[in-house]
Parts: sequence; structure tokens; C-alpha cells
Amino acid sequence: MTDFGALVKALNEGDVDFVIVGGLAAAVHGSARLTQDVDCVYSRTPANLERLVAALRGHGPYLRGAPPGLPFEWSVATIERGLNFTLTTDMGDLDLLGEIPGGGDYDALRPQAVEVVLFGHRCLCLDLAPLIRAKRAAGRPKDLEALAELEALLAARGPSRDLA
Amino acid sequence: MARPVSSSDAPSDGHHALRAAGLEPDPVIEAYKAGVDRTLLRENLRLSPTERVRKLIALQELAEEARRAGAAAHRGR
Repeated sequence: MTDFGALVKALNEGDVDFVIVGGLAAAVHGSARLTQDVDCVYSRTPANLERLVAALRGHGPYLRGAPPGLPFEWSVATIERGLNFTLTTDMGDLDLLGEIPGGGDYDALRPQAVEVVLFGHRCLCLDLAPLIRAKRAAGRPKDLEALAELEALLAARGPSRDLA
Repeated sequence: MARPVSSSDAPSDGHHALRAAGLEPDPVIEAYKAGVDRTLLRENLRLSPTERVRKLIALQELAEEARRAGAAAHRGR
């Protein structure tokens, strides 16, 4: 089971630049739907990759669904060679995304994020309207119910609100 | 804190909120809105972000326990 608080704490205390997206962002905005992992878009600056690697190094990051024993090395070089990583850690599942459809990369999402306090940690969470835009752009049938709920939340709450 | 939800937040107002956010209503998504539990959403909007995630964790624990109990019941057959 994913320890959402521990994951947010590890990234936050590691000074990692990231924006929470996906199901956890939906929950932050009031969604009642279950999600199993933490999805976040991370900045791909060299300094941030260093911080990301350091923040997760002690938590056994490994490719989710990959057979045990693969020579997976959690390092800046590995992240530089890829973009999106679906990981298991000892805190739970973490999807690290270099960019998302309908939203782009960290620099594009940063101005569309709101600051939230989660478990005592200030972090950035994609705002509701851009979250809807990204989910629409993903075009996955499984997201239709979630989109209906998010749009109902938008109607109940209004387009923009400071959550901190 | 979330603003109080009023009667003007009825489903029909959703298109205004969508358009204000630069989104057009999608007929397929509109069809799914009939199944949305708005009472649950209003309850969640009264909570802080951390309280909302704590509810998610409780739901996750419940689902985990249900899976464990189901697996145990299958093994006991």
C-alpha cells in the first residue's frame, strides 16, 4: 500500500521540484475516487535530477512490474536516458513523469499548479482545470468517470482557488 | 477553506464553470455526470487537502482489507 505522506515528505525534504498530478491531485481537489500511486511531473534540470536521485536513493526505487534482478541503477544517468518512470519504492508506487499529455513538462505545469500543504509539507499540485485538461487529452476511456467527477467538483468549487 | 456550496451549484451550472476554465462540455463526459455522488464531493470540499488524502488512505486500507479477506475466504473453500 502506498504511503502518500512518506512519498511527499521524501520528495519535499529532498528539495525536489515536482508537481503532483493524477489521482492524488484529484483527491487533493476533493475527488472521492481511489488511487494507488503517486503521479508527479518532475523538473529535468541537472540539479533537480541530482536531488531526485538523492531523495529516493534510500527507498529502493525499482521498475514496477519488471522481473526481480534486472540491472536497474537508480542514477542521474538512468533518468537522463528516459522520461517517464513507473517505480516501486519502500513507500509505495511512484510514477515520475517528465511530461504529461495536455499539460507538458514541469516548466509548463508550474504556473498552473497551486500550493498545498500535505501532511505538513508545502508542495505543488496541478490545479483542477488543468488537471481536467490533461485527463481529457490522455483520451483514456477509464478516465471518463473520473472526468465527470472532476468537472462536477469544478462546478461546485469554481475554476481557481488557493488550497494552501 | 472551501466556499459553502449553494443551490446555484446545481449540475446545470457546470457548463458555466467549464467555459470559465476554457473548456467546452463534452457530451460523453456529460452522460457520466449522472452517476456522480455530489453529496460526497460537498463533504470532501469542507475538508483540508490533508484530510482529503487521509480519507483516501482509509479507503485504500479498506480495499486492501477486503482483498485480503476475499483471498482468505477463497483459500478456505
